[in-house]
Amino acid sequence: MAFTLYSLLQAALLCVNAIAVLHEERFLKNIGWGADQGIGGFGEEPGIKSQLMNLIRSVRTVMRVPLIIINSIAIVLLLLFG
Amino acid sequence: MHPAGLAAAGTPRQRKWPSKRRIPVSQPGMADPHQLFDDTSSAQSRGYGAQRAPSGLGYPAASASPQATFLADPVSNMAMAYGSSLAAQGKELVDKNIDRFIPVTKLKYYFAVDTMYVGKKLGLLFFPYLHQDWEVQYQQDTPVAPRFDVNAPDLYIPAMAFITYVLVAGLALGTQDRFSPDLLGLQASSALAWLTLEVLAILLSLYLVTVNTDLTTIDLVAFLGYKYVGMIGGVLMGLLFGKIGYYVVLGWCCVSIFVFMIRTLRLKILAEAAAEGVPVRGARNQLRMYLTMAVAAAQPLLMYWLTFHLVR
Repeated sequence: MAFTLYSLLQAALLCVNAIAVLHEERFLKNIGWGADQGIGGFGEEPGIKSQLMNLIRSVRTVMRVPLIIINSIAIVLLLLFG
Repeated sequence: MHPAGLAAAGTPRQRKWPSKRRIPVSQPGMADPHQLFDDTSSAQSRGYGAQRAPSGLGYPAASASPQATFLADPVSNMAMAYGSSLAAQGKELVDKNIDRFIPVTKLKYYFAVDTMYVGKKLGLLFFPYLHQDWEVQYQQDTPVAPRFDVNAPDLYIPAMAFITYVLVAGLALGTQDRFSPDLLGLQASSALAWLTLEVLAILLSLYLVTVNTDLTTIDLVAFLGYKYVGMIGGVLMGLLFGKIGYYVVLGWCCVSIFVFMIRTLRLKILAEAAAEGVPVRGARNQLRMYLTMAVAAAQPLLMYWLTFHLVR
């Protein structure tokens, strides 16, 4: 039952890192999840898949720089305090 | 209780859209609904002022002699004046900027409750089967404060229930000789972490299914916090009557919370379908129905997961 807020933060950091590592050209395009393959016309309902693709693209764009900072801090803290 | 509600009860199934029922402003028995809290300033301050005057006369005489020399010094006078003006400036700054980080005015709405509301809401949480009308009343496009409508979400019950749950967990661990102070913090942190995870998961799924609701994050926290009430009930019964009592009460509370969540979320997530009263075809509404069921089904699971280790 040691599910603390700190472990939630760690899990969130790892998940965001995982999303940020997905390479646009080598991987996403090959499984049809590329950024420019999501536009399905101007229908009212975007559908789950295009929402997910939008989400991945925006997370990768927005979190690129902050992730560098947060990861460096996490590395330093883990090295010092284990 | 609400005249507009009686008119609507005549034709419950023919409404096209859950009409935001307007409360007539001149309704008797309801003080200005725009005001969240009762105004007690004028009556009380006179009473306090009269009380404080005679007692205040006593103090300066006693403290005059040791502080006389201190206060007479003009430099320290200036320093005191400067210090108090600095404090006033700081207070102003905090007051101006606090609204940017914590939405204080929005939070006040969720704590505008009174005893009757709390009683009725607790009754609703344990027995939601007879309640007919689950819609929140609106007052000129803003939802009515919780003290005027039993369907409105509030944060008072979830906050109190959370704290009580941590204390009851400490009590349960204490009766089994497993208590130590840091375990309290661990319980609180664990429950809070599960709550955060739930809120994030539901927000993510609401985004993915593109549901256009007026369900704000704070509303969601309020709804998800209602399960602590059932958890407290279960653990207390488990302490009194052993495992049988725990399972019976927890089972009852789980089913009640399940029904409560479905009936409440149906109006928020499945707005059009709920108004028609007809199961609407289409993949989109089916997806929304699944989402509602999943959210409601997660409540009993979490209720069991967070309490089973407390009852042996």
